[in-house]
Amino acid sequence: MARTAQRPVETKVGATRLVYKGKSGQWAFVGHRVSGMLVFFFLLLHIVDVSLINADPVLYDEVHDLYGNILLRLFEVGLLFALLFHSLNGIRIVLVDFFPGMVRNERRLFAVVMALTLLVGVPCGYVILEPFIDGRIL
Amino acid sequence: MAVTTPPSRPSATPGALAGTARSRRPKQSFETWSWFFMRVSGLLLVFLALTHFAITHIVNDVVDTDAAFVYRRWDNPLWRTFDWVLLALALLHGLNGMRWAIDDYIRSRPARAAVKAVLYTVSGVLFTYGTFTIVAFQ
Repeated sequence: MARTAQRPVETKVGATRLVYKGKSGQWAFVGHRVSGMLVFFFLLLHIVDVSLINADPVLYDEVHDLYGNILLRLFEVGLLFALLFHSLNGIRIVLVDFFPGMVRNERRLFAVVMALTLLVGVPCGYVILEPFIDGRIL
Repeated sequence: MAVTTPPSRPSATPGALAGTARSRRPKQSFETWSWFFMRVSGLLLVFLALTHFAITHIVNDVVDTDAAFVYRRWDNPLWRTFDWVLLALALLHGLNGMRWAIDDYIRSRPARAAVKAVLYTVSGVLFTYGTFTIVAFQ
């Protein structure tokens, strides 16, 4: 994503404060970075929790039960949205990179990314939260 | 085609140069391959990661994916292969993304080297641990 984003314009406020001139492109860039990092850190955690299955299957089940509580279910919905946005925006980047003419549709492409993220994310998020909404947990 | 000059980084969009003279094609470096790897692994991960998430959170409820579920699933070597490819690609894709972000935001050389050293060590250890989990599991 960094490769297709506009170059940052530095302000005089401080070396680390960057202002981008783009509109949807800027937010796509920020969203891609943030969602990517969230998924990466979850992956590191996930390798550790799954690996418990060899060391101690009982402990694996105890840790795994935590994923069923409402706080972690909300976290999973966040993970779902991060995955969806990062996937769809990644496809947008690939399209723009490999088919340069696509740049002309960039804003429309970003709108499609956002629409699909919500369209898939909301019903799937509902499925994840359903046991809580039904009152089966907590 | 009215395609503007691609961004200044050496790895920037080879596709954008497709129509120009071969002599103007930038030299291929590690960064060119890193750019290409992100596109290819990204597209594969859209399928692998979203399938994995759908199976463990949408088709099955997360509380049902306990140790017994993993025993059943990893009985099939194809699922083990699926999970290992997902592990390897996701970790490398995330690692490279983190490397780009670190290069963008950490300006001091020693700090950058230190953060990268931690990142590479943690990723390397967890990749080995995760691979061991999938291979050694019985």
